[in-house]
Amino acid sequence: MIRLYLSIRRYTIFVLLFASFVATAQERVVSGKVTSADDGAGIPGANIQIKGTSSGTVSDADGNFKINISPNATLVFSFIGYATQEIVVGTQSTINVSMLTDVVSLSEIVVTGYGTQEKKEITSSVVVLTEKEFNQGNINDPSQLLAGKVAGLSIYNRGGDPNSNATIRLRGISTVGSNTEPLVVIDGVIGASLSNVDPNDIESINVLKDGSAAAIYGSRGSSGVILVTTKRGSKRGGAVGFEYNGYVAAATPIRMQPNMSAGEYVAAGGNDLGSVTDWQDEVTRTGVSNVHNIAVSGGTKSTTFRLSTNFRNINGILEKSGFDQINTRANLSHSALDDKLKVDLNMALTNRKSNFSFNDALRYAVLFNPTAPIKFDNGDYYQAILFDNFNPVAILDQNVNEGKRKNINYNAKIDYTIVEGLTATANFGQQFETNLNGEYYSRNSLYRGLNRGGLARRYTSDRQFTLFEAYGTYSKDFNKVDLSVTGGYSFQEDQFEDMFLEFGNFPSDDLGYNALENAGDRLSGLASLVNVNSSASPKNQITALFARVNLTIDKGIFFNASVRREGSTKLGEDNRYGIFPAAGVGVDILHYANMNSFKALKVRVGYGVTGSLPGQSGLAQDLYTYSFNQGGNITKTRDANPDLKWEQKEEINLGVDFGIGTHLTGALDVYTRNIKDFILEREVDPAVYASGFRFENAGKLKTNGIELTLNYNDINLGQVRWTPGIVFSKYNTTLEEFIVDKQVRGELGAPGQNGTYMIRVAEGEKIGQIWGPVFDGVEGNGAPRFKDLNGDGQIISAPGQALADDGDFKELGQGIPAAEFGWTNQLTFKNWDLNAFFRAAFGHSLVNSFRAFYEPLDPGAINSYNRIQTDKAVAGLTSAQYSSLYVEKAGFFKLDNITLGYNFKTSSTAFKSIRFYGSVQNAFVITNYTGVDPEPQLADIGAVDNANFAPTSLDVLSPGIDRRQSYFQSRTFTFGINIGL
Amino acid sequence: MKNLFKSTLIIALSFGAFSCTDLEEEIVDSYTKSITPANPGVGTKTNVNKPTPNDGLGGAFSRVLNGTGGHGGYFSLQEIPSDEVVVTQKGGDWYDGGELIVSHQHNFRSSGMIGVEGAWNDAYGGIFQCNDLLKEAGLPLEKQAQLRMLRAYFYWRLLDLYGNVKIVTTPGVDVSQSNRLAVYNFVEAELLASITDLPAGRGEYGRASQGAAYALLARLYLNAKVYKDLAAFDDTDLQKSIDAADMVINSGNYSLEPDFKKVFSPDNVENVEHIFVAPFDEATGTGMQFPYMTLHYPSQLTFKLAQQPWNGYSTLEAFYNSFEDADKRKAASFISGPQYAYNVDPEVKTPILDLAFDKADPDGAPINYTPFVNELFPNGSRQGGARLGKFSFKVGQNPDADNDYPLLRLGEVLLNRGEALWRQGKTGEALIEINKLRARAGVSDLPSISSDGGDLLAERGRELFQEALRRTDLIRFGAWGNAWWEKPAHNDPNKNLMPIPNSAIVAATNLTQNPGY
Repeated sequence: MIRLYLSIRRYTIFVLLFASFVATAQERVVSGKVTSADDGAGIPGANIQIKGTSSGTVSDADGNFKINISPNATLVFSFIGYATQEIVVGTQSTINVSMLTDVVSLSEIVVTGYGTQEKKEITSSVVVLTEKEFNQGNINDPSQLLAGKVAGLSIYNRGGDPNSNATIRLRGISTVGSNTEPLVVIDGVIGASLSNVDPNDIESINVLKDGSAAAIYGSRGSSGVILVTTKRGSKRGGAVGFEYNGYVAAATPIRMQPNMSAGEYVAAGGNDLGSVTDWQDEVTRTGVSNVHNIAVSGGTKSTTFRLSTNFRNINGILEKSGFDQINTRANLSHSALDDKLKVDLNMALTNRKSNFSFNDALRYAVLFNPTAPIKFDNGDYYQAILFDNFNPVAILDQNVNEGKRKNINYNAKIDYTIVEGLTATANFGQQFETNLNGEYYSRNSLYRGLNRGGLARRYTSDRQFTLFEAYGTYSKDFNKVDLSVTGGYSFQEDQFEDMFLEFGNFPSDDLGYNALENAGDRLSGLASLVNVNSSASPKNQITALFARVNLTIDKGIFFNASVRREGSTKLGEDNRYGIFPAAGVGVDILHYANMNSFKALKVRVGYGVTGSLPGQSGLAQDLYTYSFNQGGNITKTRDANPDLKWEQKEEINLGVDFGIGTHLTGALDVYTRNIKDFILEREVDPAVYASGFRFENAGKLKTNGIELTLNYNDINLGQVRWTPGIVFSKYNTTLEEFIVDKQVRGELGAPGQNGTYMIRVAEGEKIGQIWGPVFDGVEGNGAPRFKDLNGDGQIISAPGQALADDGDFKELGQGIPAAEFGWTNQLTFKNWDLNAFFRAAFGHSLVNSFRAFYEPLDPGAINSYNRIQTDKAVAGLTSAQYSSLYVEKAGFFKLDNITLGYNFKTSSTAFKSIRFYGSVQNAFVITNYTGVDPEPQLADIGAVDNANFAPTSLDVLSPGIDRRQSYFQSRTFTFGINIGL
Repeated sequence: MKNLFKSTLIIALSFGAFSCTDLEEEIVDSYTKSITPANPGVGTKTNVNKPTPNDGLGGAFSRVLNGTGGHGGYFSLQEIPSDEVVVTQKGGDWYDGGELIVSHQHNFRSSGMIGVEGAWNDAYGGIFQCNDLLKEAGLPLEKQAQLRMLRAYFYWRLLDLYGNVKIVTTPGVDVSQSNRLAVYNFVEAELLASITDLPAGRGEYGRASQGAAYALLARLYLNAKVYKDLAAFDDTDLQKSIDAADMVINSGNYSLEPDFKKVFSPDNVENVEHIFVAPFDEATGTGMQFPYMTLHYPSQLTFKLAQQPWNGYSTLEAFYNSFEDADKRKAASFISGPQYAYNVDPEVKTPILDLAFDKADPDGAPINYTPFVNELFPNGSRQGGARLGKFSFKVGQNPDADNDYPLLRLGEVLLNRGEALWRQGKTGEALIEINKLRARAGVSDLPSISSDGGDLLAERGRELFQEALRRTDLIRFGAWGNAWWEKPAHNDPNKNLMPIPNSAIVAATNLTQNPGY
């Protein structure tokens, strides 16, 4: 039977509670407690069965049980997710059982789109992570729970700014112009936002990696699907449980940029201004964070609930940066009408107040003259009027950059079992997000306010998302065939509005951004000074019809097929609908062949088509803007393309799930994905098209990859039990077709290196090529000399000739790692538990842009800017010009997080469990990269200079550039406590 | 089964309630085909100088602002390869992939060179707007003539820079590439055709007039040898140039402004000498950024600029020295010498400092713009080079400047007429025109003209500095391949044309690159 409830584990408990107590004569009572070996907590609802009979019982809310047995009985203890144990009772009257996690079991229930399946029935590449497998430490973004844990899922939050989100890529990029982040589904709500889920409230996360699994999500499944299941209450027979999880964390920068000390700077010819200031030290700190989570859960036969509140006070290593957040979640389930009707209601609310601080302070701390004082004697900040040069302490002290975010979402789901095997489900949900940000730059701040007599910026946005889905599932077990059919309808609507105001020229700084009416700029009315903007998206709608059939034949052959027909408002009139089919088949080899050493062996193959939806609106229409120039006129900004159609990804995934012996399990997947028609804005002939730009379906990508997961359960080393696991992944993405044959992108920028592009993309070649001339020594005038790579006797190496036929340029490195690797270790020893997670990425390089600008000892600039000094510096080089010199291999191996915990065994009725733990994130990093963070930069954040506002768009085709405005990576020490009542 | 039916019905009804079969996208924050602004003239009220007419032609005429007074378009492409403007690499600043050095040294290329794409795209952007307005039925003849003259001006830019281009006259309809002669003929024909319906007087502010069409014809005919690729100047063309210039001069609509500075100052609206202008304005005619392009960072304090300047453009020492000190145009064209912070009392002179001054700067921290420039790259000094000051700056300058930029003015027409006469051998008559301008500049008459015209070329340089005509003049005088500071001599006629930008060739697919590129 197909189980429809996300809380399948609890549902099982509920079923088991109905198992009656069976007592017979000449029996005696045995009692005991079933606990989890992981944390010593009682397992409620564990199944205790007398072997060879149908008699049994289940453990209560605390894991305790009592059972009547006859002599010589053997008890079988089982619970989903744990290895089944058999214990001969003998004469014992008390039996305490510690249950071990069962990684070998293929009988797990896996949440897939619109339903669940037993793991063995799955024919696609799906990974399930539960709470105890998550990353540990000070984690504020749910995606960080998974970093490195899933083969093929790359999650990098370079620098670790607490207010920034990680970049997530599943099997590389699957689109160029559209959304490259996976689709998130939270408790069945498609397109939900991870920013409204506290990591503490997540029970499990499933990752649907390949097209055959994701196709049921149609137009937005191309970048993969992440299904999040939040924790729910359990049926404790009316009992109520409390949980408290709290920690305090301290973060310090791991590495600083290797710039010159005051002494080195003066020795190198810098202007000695008489002071000694370590600017990087001045703008960073030990960031202390506090996190508290309180959860209450419980339930009766018909109703369960869980209420959870999370407080987060997070402080980053950059002065002022961090946030305060309260998040509350309520999950309720109720069943009625003889359990034919089940109602679920989930609600969550997040209220976050952020201080974004100024990442620029880090950048200018690297560059600012180390002999400059922070302030003059009269209290004024020291400033040099120079391009791209600002006192970093003044930036932080004089200005504010804050924001508030509120998220609310709820969804109500009704399941009704119409007849045995036939269930109807309706799900309605809404999600809201509002942002209100404020920036103020003081009248005295050279950084941004001085020129403008004070500058205030306010930004607010509002997003509303509505989902309605209705579907039915019919399941029936025939003689040799188990059949399950699901079909339904989906409607989604997304709308976004925002508003921006920027004014300058204030009579005083006292009111900050709160009194825009005092802005003198209002009198000038100049558009170049008064910057205002408001926008609203259309109602972006998606409608879909979908169907799926799952067949299990002979308990050994599994077949899944699905189709989704989906339409979106964003596309051209004639191409609004797309069809996304998928099919998969799996064979349990052991069902047909006896292979001694294998405990499990399943071969599966899946094929699926998915799409990608672009972020912008109005792609297929002519758009115009109004300009006040010359008395007002309208200008076309985009030319229509009514033929615009869906991006499509076709993917074939071949996989093997295996178990060897009793301990080793694993999965091996190989895949090919072909993406075509990706939607890109391209330059078109300005002689024909007024705007010179329009969106076209222009391009093909192909990715081949391999992923391996290995787990070894429970190596016994005396009393130490060790469970290691490895994930490994590797992929190659080729740009098969593009808007041009070849192109360079990723401009290095000012000062002096505009027009210098570092990334090459070309049809038929791998994406992620870092491109440039090869450094070959220093000319007499201090300029770099480059290699004559093609041996034609002339050196064509100017950045503007990067693509010239006779150019002396080559690939200097790859922006995307060749392989990614994760190594989990769970160890237990008596009451101690140790969790160590190592992570590595190899084969990628980074352009170290700090070095590219500031390492050469430019005799002019040495007076103006501090210099970077690494062992890669070349003596005599005085001219900063991009070349191979600044492209560094950035492979790394790091101890991502290590946690040591101690579980107090309590017999107290007050405390069910108490655990203390200490954790270190980024405990060590081994790398040759000389910058602050060797993690891959999967998308380019763009160049910015001279206190201009940074671009917000990301260029996914230009990976591998370590920009100057990056936050510094931190090492975090966490001490925490978990209490269960 | 009854339950089944009921549930199915409920689900079906829910579908009905929520389903949306109509997936129309309704854009609500941008103008589309179905929404056009009711009042295209709303912006005129805030022009701080003078409003341009509310005649519906602003969409096209505003396009002459693009790239004319900024960095990265027409101005950069015309000026940086010439002998009057240079942007040196100043250590870590202004290397920009060598896009400025290649231009200065005449290693022209179709991408990665300053202005090569901007000038192309801006010209076609303007042409599209003209075509778009011209396709409207019932457009009055005068407006048609205005737009055709303007379109001819944009095509003249393409003719002068790129030569072999597409002549598109219907919006959205592609055509094949024309050769330079065909483009020349088109520009001539369009100008001649527009004259009848253009205003005979000075015309409206920021719009075209008969004077503008004649002045452009005078320039076109003077350069006919180059545009038609003739071996020698053709007397007929020269006579046509003189005749067209006479139409301007004799119209009585224009006269020489006695004070040279005023022709270019921030309040130069409708100066008597202007024939056709790019009407820059800090509010409604944005895009003039000379103060930012040329001044050193601390000069912000001299002019109380709203933003920090970029320290890019200066002039070449030899060009600076081609002016006599007594020439009023010298002081009017350049900013040189020690610089002081703004003070209401001009007698109070507080030097402005580059605290982290450059060791290549001989004067140390106090800013002193020297005509001498130490090197083109890599370590040009930050204070080297007299700065471009002809379009003078007002104190408290906002990000966009107010100075109108004369695209055609009487001074140039006089020089064109004089040069055409000289090329016809009428040196005496030629000198009369040229010495009118020298007299205004306060310098003695030119007694004669050397046989190679070097005196005339130099005189044009002094008069027309920073007006984006130097490249055209150097080519016409056969001096384009001469050596000058940090620029080697060459003898490559292909360099008389710029390469068609690579981006255009990729986007269009039916464009052939100019020879030699």
